[in-house]
Amino acid sequence: MHVPLRARAARVAMSALLAVGALLPAAVPAVAQEETTLRVGTTQDLDSMNPFQTALVVGFEAFALNYELLVAFDQKLGPAPGYAESWTANSAGTEYTFKIPAGKKWSDGKPATAEDARWTFQLVLDALNSEAGSLCLGYIDPDVKNAAVESVSAPDAQTLVVKLSRKSDRILQTYVPILPKHIWESKDATTICDDKFDPPIVGSGPFQAQEWQTGQNVRFEANPNWTQSKLAPTEVILTFFETEDTMAQALRNNELDYAQGVLSDQFNQLKGQPNIATTAGEANGFTELGFNTYGTGTGKTIAGGGPSTKALLDPLFRDAVGYAIDKPLLVERVLGGYGVPGTTQVPPVQTRWHKEPATVREFNIDTAKQKLDAAGYRLDGQNRRLDKEGKPIVLDLVFPDSDSTYPTSAEFIKEWWGQLGIAINPSQYDSDTLIDLMLPPEAGDYKADYDLFIWGWGGSADPNALLEIFTCDQIGNSSDSLWCNEEYDRLFEEQNIAPTYEERKALMDQAQDLMYTEAPYHILYYDAALHAWRTDKFTGWANQPENGTPLFGYGPWGYLQLRLVGDEPTPGPSAPGAASPGASAPPGNGGQSTGSSNNTLLIVGGLGLLALVVVAGAVLVRRRSVRTEEE
Amino acid sequence: MGSRYLGRRIVQALVTILMIVLLNFVLFRMMPGSPERAITRNPSISADTKAALRAKWGLDKPVFPDQFASYVVATFQGDFGLSFKYRGQPVTEVLGSRIWPTVILFGLGEIIAIVIGMGLGAYAGWRRGGVVDYVGNGISLVLYSTPYFVLGMFLLVIFATTLGWFPTFGMLSAGAHYDSFIDQLIDFARHLALPLATVSLGLVGLYSILMRSSIIETLAEDYVQTARAKGLRDGHILRAHALPNAMLPAVTIVAIQIGYVIAGAITAEVVFNWPGIGTLTVDALSSRDYPVLQGIFLLLAVSVVIANLLADLVYGLLDPRVRA
Repeated sequence: MHVPLRARAARVAMSALLAVGALLPAAVPAVAQEETTLRVGTTQDLDSMNPFQTALVVGFEAFALNYELLVAFDQKLGPAPGYAESWTANSAGTEYTFKIPAGKKWSDGKPATAEDARWTFQLVLDALNSEAGSLCLGYIDPDVKNAAVESVSAPDAQTLVVKLSRKSDRILQTYVPILPKHIWESKDATTICDDKFDPPIVGSGPFQAQEWQTGQNVRFEANPNWTQSKLAPTEVILTFFETEDTMAQALRNNELDYAQGVLSDQFNQLKGQPNIATTAGEANGFTELGFNTYGTGTGKTIAGGGPSTKALLDPLFRDAVGYAIDKPLLVERVLGGYGVPGTTQVPPVQTRWHKEPATVREFNIDTAKQKLDAAGYRLDGQNRRLDKEGKPIVLDLVFPDSDSTYPTSAEFIKEWWGQLGIAINPSQYDSDTLIDLMLPPEAGDYKADYDLFIWGWGGSADPNALLEIFTCDQIGNSSDSLWCNEEYDRLFEEQNIAPTYEERKALMDQAQDLMYTEAPYHILYYDAALHAWRTDKFTGWANQPENGTPLFGYGPWGYLQLRLVGDEPTPGPSAPGAASPGASAPPGNGGQSTGSSNNTLLIVGGLGLLALVVVAGAVLVRRRSVRTEEE
Repeated sequence: MGSRYLGRRIVQALVTILMIVLLNFVLFRMMPGSPERAITRNPSISADTKAALRAKWGLDKPVFPDQFASYVVATFQGDFGLSFKYRGQPVTEVLGSRIWPTVILFGLGEIIAIVIGMGLGAYAGWRRGGVVDYVGNGISLVLYSTPYFVLGMFLLVIFATTLGWFPTFGMLSAGAHYDSFIDQLIDFARHLALPLATVSLGLVGLYSILMRSSIIETLAEDYVQTARAKGLRDGHILRAHALPNAMLPAVTIVAIQIGYVIAGAITAEVVFNWPGIGTLTVDALSSRDYPVLQGIFLLLAVSVVIANLLADLVYGLLDPRVRA
């Protein structure tokens, strides 16, 4: 029987509508997530659950939830109880004794003792003493090395003794996750690098990863043995987004409670939304305009490469042109107002360490001209600035294609310096190609063939990494200004071994002043970390540090401040810290594991699709045969 | 005769795949930068650790013949190497979890687009100048010229953010606990709805325009006039005489389209954070995960070859002349 085409089309349309209708229980989601789930979004995609193998902020966030540091960071980034509840130092400051709370347990219920901490520190020490000299990716071990740890011992289950090779208090700020020995003792400093740390994780942090769907999300459950405070979220889901747009929409749509790193226009839109709060925290990093100063302090030159003029090696020249960079305007125009004009290499978010220079260069083209004239860089008849060899100064400015703000900043600088008679040729490169272009002969067969560059650095919890890039040793490694200054090297070494915070701070201040004055870099700005969160489920959001952000700070501090709306602590004995043990919900996963059922769903979906294709094929073939019979 | 046609096609496809495997090796060794930079990232890492990592990824041996030989052998054994980004996870594992989401999204999208697009195109062409033709053709042109990410963002803002009918991202509600498989299926379907609508709408325009012009061309053919003169019913002429002939160019386009679908996949998946090959490609590109990119490239190239092979076979089935 033939059914008229139109009637058939109507029938198909109707069934399609019905099918769509069935998917639309708009008001009530088909599947209720836990009311106490904290849903966090980020545009980074976790690379590894192994704390020693991650290079990303999101990886550090994940392991800081899974595991505790020996000593945690408080809101002002000072030392706070972590795996150890208290500590004392001997009078010489060369030996620290840490107390691990009695009855402390791992998330699997096994006792968490000083022996676990000893084993973990020994693992890092073994790596430092090995031929390789570092542990896996090498981001964790510098903290132990700089803390001058010589040996660790655990005389009893509650006592960890750390002996130092010199007086130092940096053992209180080591970003080393304490691992459970009973899980990892078969691994050594080499084999642990190959372990993927597949969830479920056993740790002593507030939340442990239960499932990791690569490229999608990680689900953490509250540690049933967390006794330090009451945990408001029973579950944390860290979702990885491809674009900031979708993440911002998900936050508005109440599918997320927290969004890390939205763009400035989305940030402005989110600001006015009901139940959404925002913070423009300061990022622990900066964007700089750097000079190729190869030869400074060493007198070396590169045949067919190196800086195009000796002017770049002259601190007076670098200082003078610094007056022709309008940093506040760059922040306004390039960053949409979200950022802070830059000064020194230690960002202000490092509240304990940042030093603002006594005199900051204010934008003034005339001052720049006068300083250039005074330093011997004169204009010729065609209004071109000449170097001391009498050659017009024409500089190659290079930058990677990884950030859209670099070319815009480059255009501004080109315009300002053009007014000084200095020509700039900006060019953009793929970042790997740019590294090859910028490396000096010290790194191999390279020529450091550039004059200026715009690029950025991100720092760690300790400012050491951001200070180290200016040392002579780093030429051929992480130094891109190729600057070498004995005084700076001395300050760096001394601050690194300074016994106390005060002494270290004083030396670090000098190092920051020296870098600012000598100006191998003009730090253009400290970028802002634009975060947004919902206020209708959790409350208690607080920045760590105060000019930072609530989450993605230093350890789990921000997560521990959260309370469910309507469940805010009342002043008195029930305040955080006095919560009863086991206050958080047990981690029973309420039925089947989502991971395995996902696969089932995909397989069923795939088979369904296959069946559909087979049926479609069969119908096609049958239609052909029917047609043949008819004719 | 038929088997010779089939055999020739299969041999051609195999040769193409072999060429792709070889090209894949050369292409990813021409990329800028050194691979260990993608593996190590940390500029302060020691030389020994770098050497150990190079050895682990087989980069310590000369490119020819050692690296090439082990690549060819491993590829034909289904071993695509280890991911840089995911710190040594096998590429097959990384790819494995991402294939099905893309197959489901684009498989269903293609089927829906073929049924609706070709149906609409055929009807519009058959009733040329009618209301359906004018409206349908207009809509098709708009859809055809709209990029996936614009369409996707548009649907997302309207149906997810404003109306709140559908979720914004992902394939399942992250961390949800399901009471039954049906609940899970419904959750999956709700997540699938908007990406699927994006993909299908994007393709409907193309298929409809193509089918419409193909039908119009066929209508002028003598055999259609003859069928009309014989007094056959209109619908029967369309289905039995015009459609099968108009289908021929459409089959080619659908097969060729597979390659472009993948390009579209990237943007549609990215908008909805759909955990498929598209989002994986973007991640792998941004983190310079060459082994994963190599695996994706091979997978996509082989799917295009297979799609073309299938098109050739279906073509042979539809049009006996090509079998000769």
